[in-house]
Amino acid sequence: MSYCVHCGVELHDSARACPLCHTPVVDPSKLGAAPPELPPYPTQRAEVPPASKREAALLLTVMLLSVAICCGLLNLFLGRSVPWSAYVIGGAALLWVWVAIPLWFRALPLAVRLILDGVAVGLYVLVIALLADGMVWFKALALPIVLLATAVLLLLGLTLPGRSILSSLSLIFGSIAVFLVGVELCVDRWLTGAWSPGWSIVVLVIAAALCAPLQVVRRVPSLREEVRKLFHL
Amino acid sequence: MPSKNKKWMRLDNAALLYSAIQKETYSAVYRFSAVLHETVDPNVLQRAIDLTMPRFPSFRSRMRRGMFWYYLEPMDIPGPMARPDIANPCQPLRLREGDGWLVRVFFYHRRISVEVFHAVSDGAGTLVFFRTLLATYFRLLGHPIPNTHGILDIDQPPQPQELEDAYARYAGPVTLRGRLAPKAYAINGTPEPFYTLHYTMGRMPVDKLLALSRRCGVSMTEYLAAVLIQVLLDRQEREKPRKPRPVSLTIPINLRSHFPSQTLRNFILTTSPSIDPRLGRRSFEEILSQVHHYIRLNLDRTTMQARLTGNVAFQRNLFLQLIPLFLKNPVLGIAYQLTAVRPFTTTYTNPGPFRVPPEMEPLIDHMEVMLGQPYGRQINCASISYGNTLAITFAGTIAETDIERDFFRFLVRAGIPVRVDSNRTS
Repeated sequence: MSYCVHCGVELHDSARACPLCHTPVVDPSKLGAAPPELPPYPTQRAEVPPASKREAALLLTVMLLSVAICCGLLNLFLGRSVPWSAYVIGGAALLWVWVAIPLWFRALPLAVRLILDGVAVGLYVLVIALLADGMVWFKALALPIVLLATAVLLLLGLTLPGRSILSSLSLIFGSIAVFLVGVELCVDRWLTGAWSPGWSIVVLVIAAALCAPLQVVRRVPSLREEVRKLFHL
Repeated sequence: MPSKNKKWMRLDNAALLYSAIQKETYSAVYRFSAVLHETVDPNVLQRAIDLTMPRFPSFRSRMRRGMFWYYLEPMDIPGPMARPDIANPCQPLRLREGDGWLVRVFFYHRRISVEVFHAVSDGAGTLVFFRTLLATYFRLLGHPIPNTHGILDIDQPPQPQELEDAYARYAGPVTLRGRLAPKAYAINGTPEPFYTLHYTMGRMPVDKLLALSRRCGVSMTEYLAAVLIQVLLDRQEREKPRKPRPVSLTIPINLRSHFPSQTLRNFILTTSPSIDPRLGRRSFEEILSQVHHYIRLNLDRTTMQARLTGNVAFQRNLFLQLIPLFLKNPVLGIAYQLTAVRPFTTTYTNPGPFRVPPEMEPLIDHMEVMLGQPYGRQINCASISYGNTLAITFAGTIAETDIERDFFRFLVRAGIPVRVDSNRTS
């Protein structure tokens, strides 16, 4: 039986320090190797295991598949001159890649998922371009923008996990600005053939103005602690 | 239970709220523990669970998502399984994951712990379940335990009045809607990683604390609530805020003593004594007197009935009913934040003394109670007494220990011997 010298409360025999004020428990008569008694509470952590989402993935697959098949069959009878069902089937395939694959393979690395998502978007846009006879805009506009978006998202997906909220916000703002500069570049080249930076520079400046204070808070420990406490991060 | 009785149950007023606001950073799961004199036998405990659960259909249900509300669906599978205890208790319920049980049973050395999701039942209902489970466990070990002192007969079928929605039954014609209370002092601290729940438990003799509170002319709950308010007021003063806020507690009241009901589901309201430091400094005796009179004044049957009618009317609001569940949850989350989190500093709950038949008394050493991770308030407090031992538990997710330290030091200085245990490793 030991007591905390500061709090005056009785402590458990296995306690090496007072849980209230962290003052070490020192018994001069037991300075040798004292066998630790069973602690009052368990020390093993556990969490609720994640449930399998395969049923949901299967349900979604069947739903999308039936939509695709029905539309494909309908297209044989209704509006045969236009292959409209290709849009629906492409959309269903896009949704399947976006939602069903992550549900089915929950261990899939984020980078692989993002690349798959980007490829799916690119292919869907390609289908639209082929049907709408728009290979020109596909090559000049759609393909570069989809590639840029995929690259930016991939970069974010690889760098964000494990970062503090402040760094994450800075990265997100920065990526949005870089992406929009790229979009304006593509649009300008498509419209006029030359790059004349305009609105995207405004976004870039705003993003820089948002990131600068965030980085200051991140670098100054006292400010960072204050923010962490305030928002319970 | 024959499967023909498989009937879904509508959630009661409090349960609707608890199920809607459940999230990863809030746990509406609380825990009662009984520390016995002998090491727990897990096999006997499991048999006791299997024998007891059919008597309590509401505890043997799972939560299902409806289009507009959650509802409870009885389960006919055996369980829950008694598991070795873990270091991070009262984990938030993941409604879509896990095995679906809203009740968890743990054992560790001499301790049996029961964790219940608040949508199933409140503390009083769970104590009936836990008392019956303990009685069954002791009977299996060969102790003759009678079905008295609130132990239910597990050979009887469940009674309909035990499953009633007492809120709906006592909702009267008059509704009372409180106005939004001002923002209270919020406890800030260094957060711990997911999912860490630190708990520190102080045990003390009831007779000494009772004598102390009687000398001050108040009840034990009122005395402890006043000590907690005093500690929080001092903490706020140390932080030197530009704008001091009132320190306000939420104290659940068991309505069964005011509105007769045998329900084993939720039937509680809360009272909230508050001290505003902006008006000036009060002595501890003055705080004690404020808390005492506030609680007594607000234990008025008519007002309480009008308040619970107001809550039920909110739930029966046609506009709210027609919002689909996935939109309703955030709406209720904001409503809860504004009406039940922002105006209060922390929760203090005292389910009162745990009474058992005399045959059972020598088998239990003491009882413990603990609340799960609070909704943005970082630490909360609960107490329960058994025999001559009162156990007060602070549970929270911050690294600092100053609140429980000051609280227990206050009691030690007042002449109460306190014994402190914790799951903190440093």
